[in-house]
Amino acid sequence: MSAGVLLKQRFPRTVAKLDGARSGWSRLGEQALFYGQTLRSLSDAFVRYRAETLRQIAVLSLGVGSLAVIGGTVAVMGFLTMATSGTLASQGYNQLSTVGVDALNGFASAFVNTRLVTPATAVIAFAATIGAGATAQLGAMRINEEIDALEVMGIRSIGFLASTRVAAGVIVVVPLYSVALLLGYFSGQVVTTVFYGQSSGVYTHYFNTFFIPTDALRSFVVTIAAVITIMLVHTYYGFNATGGPAGVGEAVGRATRASLLAATMVILFSSLALYGQTGNFNFAG
Amino acid sequence: MSWSETAALEPLRGVGGFFAMALDTLVAIFRRPFAWREFLEQSWFVARVCLLPAVVLGIPFTVLSVFFFNTLLVEFGAADLSGTGASLTAVNQIGPFTTVLVVAGSWASAMCADLGARTIREELDAMRVMGIDPIQALVVPRMLAATVVALLLSSLVTITGLFGGFMFAVFLQHVTPGAFVGGMTLITHLGDVLVSMVKATLFGLTAGLVACHRGITVSGGPAGVGNAVNETVVYSFLLLFVINLVLTAVGYEVVK
Repeated sequence: MSAGVLLKQRFPRTVAKLDGARSGWSRLGEQALFYGQTLRSLSDAFVRYRAETLRQIAVLSLGVGSLAVIGGTVAVMGFLTMATSGTLASQGYNQLSTVGVDALNGFASAFVNTRLVTPATAVIAFAATIGAGATAQLGAMRINEEIDALEVMGIRSIGFLASTRVAAGVIVVVPLYSVALLLGYFSGQVVTTVFYGQSSGVYTHYFNTFFIPTDALRSFVVTIAAVITIMLVHTYYGFNATGGPAGVGEAVGRATRASLLAATMVILFSSLALYGQTGNFNFAG
Repeated sequence: MSWSETAALEPLRGVGGFFAMALDTLVAIFRRPFAWREFLEQSWFVARVCLLPAVVLGIPFTVLSVFFFNTLLVEFGAADLSGTGASLTAVNQIGPFTTVLVVAGSWASAMCADLGARTIREELDAMRVMGIDPIQALVVPRMLAATVVALLLSSLVTITGLFGGFMFAVFLQHVTPGAFVGGMTLITHLGDVLVSMVKATLFGLTAGLVACHRGITVSGGPAGVGNAVNETVVYSFLLLFVINLVLTAVGYEVVK
């Protein structure tokens, strides 16, 4: 009897726990390997599979199925950022007016929207629409053994399916985020001036005074970093879906959860890195 | 083909179906027998799936807002008020909001996948044939479980977020701990906490209903289930953001 079997019989629970820890550890390794391969195959996406990348850009920006009916990713993202900025304006106006400085609501929109609210909302919307959609598509392909068929035909499956999606995601998010940012500012202004009746001159004065253009550029960097993470996580979970129709759905759920966590961490740390310890802000000008 | 069957009305039909199912569910809540076992199992499932991610997600959001708020306060020379900002954001927005992101993102998607797989395997039709109402047996306990657990989780996330914000402000940004705690109740009162709890409850209710509706109306095989899950996530996020906007505005008028 070998030592392994003896150990297993003697300490069944400890061995089971160690096995669990080992498989979790190796899953982490597999994920890292997949991410590395995807990023390395990005050149394939632009050289060999240019047509597929273009097709993905089209699919990602409009969405599939009934999502396309309601206006696709653009509409969802615009709507979500308008809702959060509206909430921010409403909360900000009420809170600021308790201390008598409701005039500063334009400043709150320029500062908080750019730095925190719009990147976070855009990233959440991105994970929910494009990310979850990618997992659902890839998962269905895996279940129907289409991915295996691709490999049999000699197509590099990771380069063709995962890298093209990551590349398309990064390209698509730039105009999407611009739309999100603009709609966010717009909704903040509408809520403050139309619903709460602040004069629009006051609003735009404080908005323009405290709007920092480089902040907008920094928030682009934050968003793109988070989007790369989201696309990697979602393609991984879709690519490795198992267990029939329910398995695809479960993979979508797990991928959304994992990518929301990962993207929030990316937003937190890249914001801290980009804005620095002091926050890089001067109220007095 | 009559005008009411045109493709342009398809989204509207979906909305109508959703409201019809919500009404059915509301009626079925009061019909005996109540599916207690299913309710408890589902509550445990929601809590198990959502607890860790909700708590882990709550901390970075609060820390980020504390960071930006402190940047501002240091500029005014009022860093002692850091706790005010932390409690304001954590209680009013981040607590219920993060909870529901996680409930919609991980629980609702899993639930829609489960119900969707049952639907395309025609298990729901089999239940109807046996005289069991799927709404009463499956949808009601799931919706109530999501509602109850979202309410409970949101309190936990708020507290963890505040704790994370406290740690960040005190140890990394050198705010006085006493001032942080003292500032917490400056503008956040009982009313805000109540509004936050109402928000979390409504969020959970909506996410549960959307997941169940998309799950029991799935068609088109595995790809259909995948798409339904995707739509669940998108639609519940959309609805949650709208509810949040309305409740924030209404909450102020009520609490004032």
